[in-house]
Amino acid sequence: MLQIVTGDPRPIARQITDGIKRHIASGELVPGDGLPSVRGLAQQLAINPNTVAKAYAELTAEGWLLARAGLGLFVAEQRQRLSDAERERRFGEAVDRFVSDVIGLDYPQQTILDRVAAELSHYATKKTA
Amino acid sequence: MSDYAIDTKELCLFYKDKPALDNLTLRLPRGGIHAFVGANGAGKSSLFRVLLGFEPATTGSARILGHDCRRLTPALRERIGFVNEEHTLPAWMRVRDLKGMQRRQYPHWNDARYDEVLGHFNVDPGQRIGGLSRGERAGLNLAVALAQRPELLILDEPTLGLDVVAKRAFLEAMLEVAQVDGGNTIVYCSHQMDEIERAADNLVILERGRMRYMSGPDDFCDRIRLWVAAFPAKVPEVRQLPGVLQVQVIDQSTHVVVFDQDEGFGTRLKLLGAQSVHAMPLGLDRAVNAFLAHGHARPAAMPAATPLAA
Repeated sequence: MLQIVTGDPRPIARQITDGIKRHIASGELVPGDGLPSVRGLAQQLAINPNTVAKAYAELTAEGWLLARAGLGLFVAEQRQRLSDAERERRFGEAVDRFVSDVIGLDYPQQTILDRVAAELSHYATKKTA
Repeated sequence: MSDYAIDTKELCLFYKDKPALDNLTLRLPRGGIHAFVGANGAGKSSLFRVLLGFEPATTGSARILGHDCRRLTPALRERIGFVNEEHTLPAWMRVRDLKGMQRRQYPHWNDARYDEVLGHFNVDPGQRIGGLSRGERAGLNLAVALAQRPELLILDEPTLGLDVVAKRAFLEAMLEVAQVDGGNTIVYCSHQMDEIERAADNLVILERGRMRYMSGPDDFCDRIRLWVAAFPAKVPEVRQLPGVLQVQVIDQSTHVVVFDQDEGFGTRLKLLGAQSVHAMPLGLDRAVNAFLAHGHARPAAMPAATPLAA
């Protein structure tokens, strides 16, 4: 179930794209699943349908979603869409951020590693990218 | 047919010596939801009065749906809906009589929509309008305006004084009208940024009778950034830097809201002695606030950038 909040620095269209990407990454949405219609989602969230259309167009252009003529939008088979260098850069950045957040909390290293492994296991159903 | 729902050129309106509209040139394309924001006295209501032919402009021209606002015919008025902020309706009439009258006058009248919008309010058809609460009167007024299905609907702060449920009901009805009657134009003025963020295709910022800005709300937010800088020594004069809208000093950090500035702005802050700088996006509410605060009237003793209460 997608949620949006107003007053967030992220525009509503971005909140929708982020939300759908997260649903796909966590396996809540799997390839072949249908998305709500533009009008339906706009109604559900009480927002302008053009905003939903914009978010869907972006996700389709980036390969997350796939349009089937007359049937609407579906979750596409997910492939890795970043270059190796960009993947490595983002990975490094995320690890840096994480380490600086937890370093001051004084947990034993193994506790931290176990916890991360447990979190990651929620996403294990996802086919390897 | 004109491509513009509203088209004004160098429009001026004076009350005595005070300009309410100051060379306002504004072209709103047909279709979609256009949200007007501005400080109190920015000229929104004055503009609507000129557009609807209630008041002649001092100078300049104004056209609505391609027609001169000084000569609106009944046939044209039928295509324009207006909801004023006071929700003025004949107090002596009963609700069902008002509906009957409106239905006779507007050929595109839609009963289902009237019932749907009014269904969110506790209004009985036999009640006199004078006996309704402000919120109920607003609901009735909106139901009537939306059921007329006008080509151009002008709403002047329609949700003022409505409770949260009624506000949401109104918003849903307005979005549905914009969607179902595609190509129709809604012009909507509000101080509720959350509504604008949800609903608007286009954002128009008015200030002191002039148009200051127009684009989609997301594009507007994209052009506004908050830079937070830490100056270890004395805080330098950053207000003179290009694009600065608002400056606040909060504890040890200086918060600067800027318009249309790239990474170069961070470099400038560092050159002025900032130890650390970082930029972040702002939501619509704060972005509009900073934009308007820049030119907002303030007591003479108050500096341009006062810290806001959180």
